[in-house]
Formats: sequence, structure tokens, C-alpha cells
Amino acid sequence: MKNAYLNFAQMITGIMVAVLLFIHIAVQKLGVILSFLGFKISDPLAFNSMMERARQGLWAGIYICLLAFGLFHALNGLRNILLETGLSPAKMRTLTWLIIIFGLIFFALGTYVPLVLLTT
Amino acid sequence: MSGDAVKNIIFRVQRYNPEKDERPHFEEFTVPVKHGTTVLEGLLYIKENLDSSLAFRTSCRMGICGSCGMLVNNNPHLACHTQVEEFHSNKLTLKPLPNLPIIKDLVPDLTTLFEKHRSVKPYIIRPDEEEMEKPAAEFTQKQKELDEFLQFTYCIKCGLCIAACPTSASDKKFLGPQALGQAFRYCADSRDAGQDQRLAIVDAEHGLWNCHFAAACSEACPKGVDPAFAIQLLRRRVVGSAIGAAKAHTPAGVVAPQTETRAKVPVPEFTVKPK
Amino acid sequence: MADNRPRENSLGIAGWVWAGNYTLERYLYLLHRVTGLGLILFGIFHLTATTIFRVQGEAVWNATMEFLNNPVFMVGEFLVVTAFAFHALNGLRLILQELGFTLGKPVPPIYPFKDAIRRKRLWTLVTLAAVMVLVVFFFIDFAAGGPG
Repeated sequence: MKNAYLNFAQMITGIMVAVLLFIHIAVQKLGVILSFLGFKISDPLAFNSMMERARQGLWAGIYICLLAFGLFHALNGLRNILLETGLSPAKMRTLTWLIIIFGLIFFALGTYVPLVLLTT
Repeated sequence: MSGDAVKNIIFRVQRYNPEKDERPHFEEFTVPVKHGTTVLEGLLYIKENLDSSLAFRTSCRMGICGSCGMLVNNNPHLACHTQVEEFHSNKLTLKPLPNLPIIKDLVPDLTTLFEKHRSVKPYIIRPDEEEMEKPAAEFTQKQKELDEFLQFTYCIKCGLCIAACPTSASDKKFLGPQALGQAFRYCADSRDAGQDQRLAIVDAEHGLWNCHFAAACSEACPKGVDPAFAIQLLRRRVVGSAIGAAKAHTPAGVVAPQTETRAKVPVPEFTVKPK
Repeated sequence: MADNRPRENSLGIAGWVWAGNYTLERYLYLLHRVTGLGLILFGIFHLTATTIFRVQGEAVWNATMEFLNNPVFMVGEFLVVTAFAFHALNGLRLILQELGFTLGKPVPPIYPFKDAIRRKRLWTLVTLAAVMVLVVFFFIDFAAGGPG
């Protein structure tokens, strides 16, 4: 059952990442989208508007969710590809642990900054 | 098309004799080909007239036994099922099926295919041992229940899908489209009760989840079995049983013994009557 | 040669790229894999840039944005959003089809055989059309020279 759960989670996180990343990209391109419609807003990439978003709990939540789902989807997908390259089970186990450690470090790095910005 | 026009086609055949050769090499033969000549007939011509040491596997020459799978112009085909004219070319390149070891020339070693096929328990599994050992009557099965898996029963274990599958190319432990497709064929059978056993086998590393639906196996299949489709339906069952959404299934019972006999249909007048 | 064990004949990882003249979905499989790996690389780069440079304040952030605002990174950004559009929509198609939706029911194999994915080829084409719409939008944005 382990594989079924992992791969079902791969599908669910895939959908979540697609939705959240779409929001993320749409916000980055907000200026372009609105200028099509005739509005002008301040650049969403400017430092101030970015920091403003970072101080809102909702945006911090979205980014942290995106990071968590994205990391799972990416690293589980990478592991699935590595599984098919014909590596020995021992090597595969080492690689799996490396991937898990890499994911945890990256998750810590990626959540630390939004949390710091949220509290300042 | 004039039926008797003979055309000379060059067969470029990959040769490999494990007793002599370090590596496979190609040899060219000129084969006279008529309208409707199959690749297998061309190979038989070479064996009879040009080089009797050429090794290839063949038996039924009508697409039923699954012996003569090979790469024709880099695509997997059954040699008996493929006419030379299909390729519109004066040169055919014949190679053994990839992703399976070569025994000699065009003969692939299908041992792994059969081992994997056996590993998914490709037979009806039922709780009523008594009925299986000493059957009292046949099991019931409606046409609708048969239609759900009939397509997948036509597998002839030729190995073309294994040659086409990108995962089988790099992962030797991967069960492969053939075994996974047959696992679904028996899970979908209304007479069967062994689904849980088979799902546990396919839901493993190098199992079901390493199929990414490239669907090359279904395209290569000479019998229309569509293994890729079977694997996706099997995946639906695996996910269903993992999240607890599987339908309860009781295997079909035996046909009730006939209680009344109907009158025989009268023999028509024009047939030869039994003496 | 003393032992005559069968000779290994696997295509290996090269078999992911090419194993015969197959049609559409065989190459979408490859593209899905390549875009996935590309997006992982971009994600590592992106996350590093937006965490390490962001906490250092406005000056460093603006310097980073200035550095990234050149044609090479703009083309890179266009490729990344294209890869995302493909990977996301093709992924949605795969999720639906791998769970047995949109593929119809098994049919009796009557010659000429047509497998499920080719009977329902329309879904693949719809997916690709949606990807093309997004890519055109991203291309307009790219040509307009939006901020890197």
C-alpha cells in the first residue's frame, strides 16, 4: 500500500501545485493582465509590494503550502525517475535518504524566510 | 496490382552467434518478394536458399503463437503478420526485440517475460477449493461481465510490448506491460476472487506505478490487447482499494443444475439426418 | 567465448528517448519527464534567489532583479512558464486517464485495432490546445518585455 499512497499523494500534490502555482504566476503577471484591461498598478515584483504580500498571513500560507506540495511532488517524482534507471536497491535506499534530507533542508530554508518576514 | 510481379528486396538482418561473435553485426540478403509476401516468408526463403545458419523463432505463421516478434525497420512487429510491401522500401532492417536478451540472431530470450507473467498469478483464484478441484458445473458469467476483460484475454506473450515500453528499456525489474495487463485481465474476471493478492504484487516498486502511460505498448500490440489501457484500469482499482473506495466483489457462483429439459429443436428437412 | 549466456539487449535510458516510430503520447511522456526535471532545477534556483536575497533588504533585492533583467534570463523565464504550462496540463490529463477516466470501456478487438488512447485522442489534443493558449499568452508577455 505504501507505493499506492505515495503515488496517489503525487497526483493530489500535482493538482495542488498546479492551482497554487497558477495563482503565484498570475499575481506576478498581474500588471500585464491588468494593463490588457486598461488598468495600471504598481509592479508586483517591486520590493515594497512584495514585502507587503509577505506580511499577510494568507500569502505566507499560500507560499508555504506551495513549497511543501511542490517539494513533495518534485522529489517524489525525481525518486520515481531514479527508480527506473536500474540502480541497485542499496544505492536506491541511500539516494532516497539523500532526497529526504535535501527536502527537509530546503523546506526549512524556504519556510524560515516567510516566517521571519511575517514577524518583522 | 499485378499479383505475380517479383521484386528484389534487401533484408538487412542482425546476426549474433554467441559462440563466435564478440558483438552483433549486420548481414544483407536479397529476397524476391511478391504481392503479399510476409517478412517471415522472406526469412524462410533466406534460411532455405541463402544461409541455413540464420536463427529465428516461428511456429504458426498466422499471428497466434507469438514466436516471431522482431524489430522490422526499428518497430516491433510479428514477422508473420507483417507484409514486406507495408514499408514501401527496398530495404528492411531486421533486429531482435530489444529489452530482452538475445540468444542468437533474431531469437530473444523470453524467460523474464514468462517469469513476470507467472508472478502476477494469471489464473482464476477462488475460495471454494472443492469446486475448483472437482467442478460440479460451469461458473456463471454474463456477456456484459465478459466484455469487461475479453479484449485483454487475447495476449499471445510475444514480447512486442516489452520492446516498446520505455520503462522496460531501463528498468529490468519492471513487471512490464504484458504482466500488468494480464494482472488486470484476471482481476476483472467476474469468476475470480484473487484481486487482493494480485494488487499486493503489482502495487510495489518496479510495479504498476512505473507505468507513465506512454501507450507505446498498446500501439505495438499485434492483437489489439491494449495493455496500457488495462494498466490504467488496474491503477484505478489499486487507488480505489488504497483509499477504501473499492466495490465489494463476490465471485460468480456455479450454474444451477438444469431441472427441466426442453423439447429438442426439430432437425430441418434439408439437412442430412443422423442414421 | 566459453559461456553462451544470452546477450544483454536493453535500450537503457536511451530507450526513454527513442524506441520506435510511435505517435503523440510516447513523446508527451518524454516531454513530461524533461519538463519535470527542468522545473526542479528552476525551483532550486528560484527558491535560493527569493529566500537568501530577500531577507537581505531592498538594496540586494533590487540588485538581484537588475541582474536578472537581461535577455538570457527572460528567455529562460519564458521557457520555464512554458514548461510549467505543459507539465501542469499534461499532468492533469495523466491523472484523469491513469485513474481510468476519459478512456471509455474495453472494446472487442476487431481489426484494425485502435487502442483506448487513440480512440480518445481528442482529450490529448484538447490538452495540447490549452497548453498552446497559455504559451501564446506567455509569449505576448515575453515579447512585451515584462519585468524579469
